[in-house]
Amino acid sequence: MNNIVFYAIAGIVVASGLLSLTVRNLFHCALFLALTMFGISGVFLYLNSDFLAGVQVLIYVGAVTVIIIFGISLTRNMMDERTTAMNRQFLFAILGAVFVTAVIFAALQQSSFLTNEHPMAISLGTATTTGDVAQTTAASPAPVSDQVFQSVGYLADALILPQNGFAFAFEFVSILLLSALVGAIVIARKDPA
Amino acid sequence: MNNIPLIHFLYLAAILFGIGIFGVLARKNAISVLMGIELMLNAVNINFLAFARYWNWNSLSGPVFVVFVITIAAAEAAVALAIVISIYRHLRTANVDDAHYLRG
Repeated sequence: MNNIVFYAIAGIVVASGLLSLTVRNLFHCALFLALTMFGISGVFLYLNSDFLAGVQVLIYVGAVTVIIIFGISLTRNMMDERTTAMNRQFLFAILGAVFVTAVIFAALQQSSFLTNEHPMAISLGTATTTGDVAQTTAASPAPVSDQVFQSVGYLADALILPQNGFAFAFEFVSILLLSALVGAIVIARKDPA
Repeated sequence: MNNIPLIHFLYLAAILFGIGIFGVLARKNAISVLMGIELMLNAVNINFLAFARYWNWNSLSGPVFVVFVITIAAAEAAVALAIVISIYRHLRTANVDDAHYLRG
């Protein structure tokens, strides 16, 4: 039952992702992109990442899609003229995409990490906030528990606590986001002084 | 607990990445190219979380990197759409093939 739902979500993700880049109407493209992101948040739930699934819905379905729809509305006249949505290198694009996907598939078939994939799913509750738990390698067999796992606290500890090493990067990326948004406003302004 | 093998998540991510590459290469409109880039970034996120769940969840490096990727993707979307709007204001087009002023 669980697996059927996952494969249905995966099918929706692939189909709507494909539609979001092949449909002519740009508004429909944006809506299919929102559906794709919604399905990807469902995939995140299957990977025990409840917080990141919520973040995915908030940021991609809520923010990025709305920004894209704003951009489509502000640059509108592309949909009215009867031109094709694809450029001249359409066939080469199909070939390139199929080639890259085939190379990734072939690499996945021959990879060595798939031989020991299931014994170490997750060890719930043992994740402490210190950095040395990274030493619990993939080889340690962890019992798969059925209790509900909430990743918010662990993720917050990993991002904020200085001994985990991500605190500086976390603060730095916030400054990067702020400067990027200010830069976006400056670029899109009507009359640059 | 679900027992979906790891490689199915990786297959899904690879297919999404291929779709994103196709969109980046084939679409005329700059906003569609941006959508393709977003799809590729999300495929990478699925890979990060799949490896974090099936290999070592305790290290939490995978979810942390996903947070960073989402943040930078949001900043990239904002800046890219500002550039698209600016190009549209100057050239009256949002077509990436028509904006070739820097071509030698």
